[in-house]
Amino acid sequence: MGAEVVTVSTDTKFVHLAWQREEKMLENVKYPMGSDPTGNLSRLFGVYDEETGLALRGTFIISPEGKLLNSEVNFYNLGRNIDELMRKFKANLHLAKHANEGCPAKWKDEGDKTLTPSAKLVGRVYEALK
Amino acid sequence: MEEVCCGLKVGQDVPDFSIETYEPSKGDFGEFSLAAQKAGKKWTILFFYPADFTFV
Repeated sequence: MGAEVVTVSTDTKFVHLAWQREEKMLENVKYPMGSDPTGNLSRLFGVYDEETGLALRGTFIISPEGKLLNSEVNFYNLGRNIDELMRKFKANLHLAKHANEGCPAKWKDEGDKTLTPSAKLVGRVYEALK
Repeated sequence: MEEVCCGLKVGQDVPDFSIETYEPSKGDFGEFSLAAQKAGKKWTILFFYPADFTFV
């Protein structure tokens, strides 16, 4: 899909190995499993919970230039929706090539209508998306 | 550049970092580095979760 996905928790790489080997749900996992035992990377992204020593469920999209473009953080008890992550990632790819456009809330995939801000568009978003 | 401590905001540049990894595709340990991603012009998705052996 054109991005490297890295999962990160405060576990060590040894525990990652043991978990991936033991848990059959993870047998098809391909992405690198990152280890942040000091919590420093989790702190950098604002997801470190000092009370528990664990990272909250944060998802971050970083451009090839190293800029943080999206951030989503859920508390422990709410899982993330991969479709929404893919939507944001595809929108980022589109916007990286079409910097003057905007992807509206209902934009799902390449080919869907985008908005290009201009005087003509003011108060005419409904018509532009119809 | 102003030093970023914690809680990066959208739109900010992420400081270079590297972390140790376990790579299931190779069955071996490795390293992930943001500098290498930038050099290779690659997108990165970081996916934080609380802990191994829990119920993601």
